[in-house]
Amino acid sequence: MAPRLPARCWRQIQLRTSSQSPSTSTRIVRAFSSTPLQSVKYGWSTLPKQDKPRRFNQTSLGLPAPTTGPAAALARRARTTPLRTGVLAIKKGMTAFMGKSGTRIPCTVLQLDEVQTVANKTRRKNGYWAVQVGLGTRNPVAVGAPMLGYFEAKGVSPKQHLAEFAVRGEEGLLPVGVQLMPDWFHVGQWVDVRSNSRGQGFAGGMKRHGFKGQEASHGNSLNHRTIGSAGPSQGSGSRVLPGKKMPGRMGNERVTVQNLPVLMVDNELGIVVVKGAVAGPKGAVVKIQDAVKKPPPPVEFIEQTRKLLDERFPHAEEQLEAARKRHLELKEARRAKRIEEIMAVGVVEGQAQGQAEVVA
Amino acid sequence: MNVAPISRRPLASLKGTVRKVRQQRLLARSMATASEPTSTPTNSPSPLPDHNFFTFPDRKTSRIRTAFAVYSLPRALPSASKTTLIKTDTSPLPPQTLAAPHPDPLPALCRKQISLLDPTGARTALFARTNRDAARVGDVLMVTHRRGGEPFAGVLVSIRRAGIDTAILLRGRLTKVPVEMWFKVYNRNVAGIEIVKRAKKRARRARLTYLRQPKHDVGDVQNVVFAWKKSRNVLSTKTRAPGEKQRFEPKARK
Repeated sequence: MAPRLPARCWRQIQLRTSSQSPSTSTRIVRAFSSTPLQSVKYGWSTLPKQDKPRRFNQTSLGLPAPTTGPAAALARRARTTPLRTGVLAIKKGMTAFMGKSGTRIPCTVLQLDEVQTVANKTRRKNGYWAVQVGLGTRNPVAVGAPMLGYFEAKGVSPKQHLAEFAVRGEEGLLPVGVQLMPDWFHVGQWVDVRSNSRGQGFAGGMKRHGFKGQEASHGNSLNHRTIGSAGPSQGSGSRVLPGKKMPGRMGNERVTVQNLPVLMVDNELGIVVVKGAVAGPKGAVVKIQDAVKKPPPPVEFIEQTRKLLDERFPHAEEQLEAARKRHLELKEARRAKRIEEIMAVGVVEGQAQGQAEVVA
Repeated sequence: MNVAPISRRPLASLKGTVRKVRQQRLLARSMATASEPTSTPTNSPSPLPDHNFFTFPDRKTSRIRTAFAVYSLPRALPSASKTTLIKTDTSPLPPQTLAAPHPDPLPALCRKQISLLDPTGARTALFARTNRDAARVGDVLMVTHRRGGEPFAGVLVSIRRAGIDTAILLRGRLTKVPVEMWFKVYNRNVAGIEIVKRAKKRARRARLTYLRQPKHDVGDVQNVVFAWKKSRNVLSTKTRAPGEKQRFEPKARK
């Protein structure tokens, strides 16, 4: 077999043929090219095309499904991924409920401040299923140009915080721009609550890891709260093993509290009340999602919440489409330095003019 | 700003006026939104929500360098429909509006809870600062438990006012042993709180912790309670006792 020509030689021919006959599709031109387009970007290769097998076990051939790879990884994680998205909230503080039998139930109040869905992550495009959710509003002054463009394309106002919530499949995705209210959660269901704990600053071994410390007396001098030995000596390598617990920065790390029951939801106050404590100070941003280790809320309830979303935001899809279109127009106008004219003209005329300018 | 008399003013104030105008021009340039309303939802059938432009000014020239559309859905307060502790509240908002968040939900929730636990307001009134007849530290109180058992009587040592967690500390004696007990005022197990005896003088402390010292200890209050019960029984056959109006939930007592 004769050695193949480098790609740069073929590219001339390709370009010429494509320019001569635009009616012929690129597929035919590619049939001429013998260089693998996907694996070799620059230079050329004499290896046969698709030397490396891409798919090992084809289930269509009766072979078992592969246990590695992205699809297998998603399948493995499916059991521990919630069905539907969670919400972002702000910890408002703790209070108590007085139970029917006279018990006092300590609980945490979490407020949902204009929680909106901002984007969906798909298996095809991103490799996993997730919903991006935003909390609060941010003054555009404090938002950079790239993020302003991002929110412009979504048709939502700039959000204070953004977070992603992984969902099990496509059914968990939501229309962009809808607001999630506290009634997204079922009273009595379990949720996992994630937040950053209070930062404690630089802390010693006793406080940070619960070390015992040392004796108060018996000849001890100035070493009452020190950690003592950091490891064995000669014979064990005379080194400190990686991960040795030592003094250092304590707190301000992600803490997940699992399986908290939802005691109350209130749309009017915009709050979700969960039983027990949640990490972090008041005002901390909190992620709430259906518990991984408990059954999800009833199917009827999930359907009901989806129906409510459609009722409250019937035009979410159209709005997103319109915002995307508008974003493309504005983007072109920004590139062409004509944004000032569009603003002066206004939206309705500006759309037509902006397009005309872009075309011209 | 009074614009009209500018011409009548002496020329010396021209400088200030020019300065003010210049400032205003600066302000208009750096304003977050464009001056004119950019969308007309009534005219256009476009589903695009209302939006303004956020502009980035060019530092060298006075022109706009670039601008981005900033969207804003109309805000609406969520309906104040009934919220239950058991069922989920599912009252739909008007379509395509964002529900504005409550400014301070924690006290509002506390008020809601108290109104549920204390519908008559008697428990709140008994320890309210505004109530002249409220119980004060130094008074002798008697707390009745819903699950039966002997009512506990003692001197009110302190009141911990904390919304739904409001609690009182009573110091009394059980089997001749000094005992202090905390009671949550809004707890369902607390069936009734009665003022047995008022303090002779207003206490000059908020918390009478000095009662723990032997010198100041009030000791057993059972005699006071017996006397009060006796008088109440005598009176209740004919008329109402004076302490009657402080009591609440009399049914639960027996």
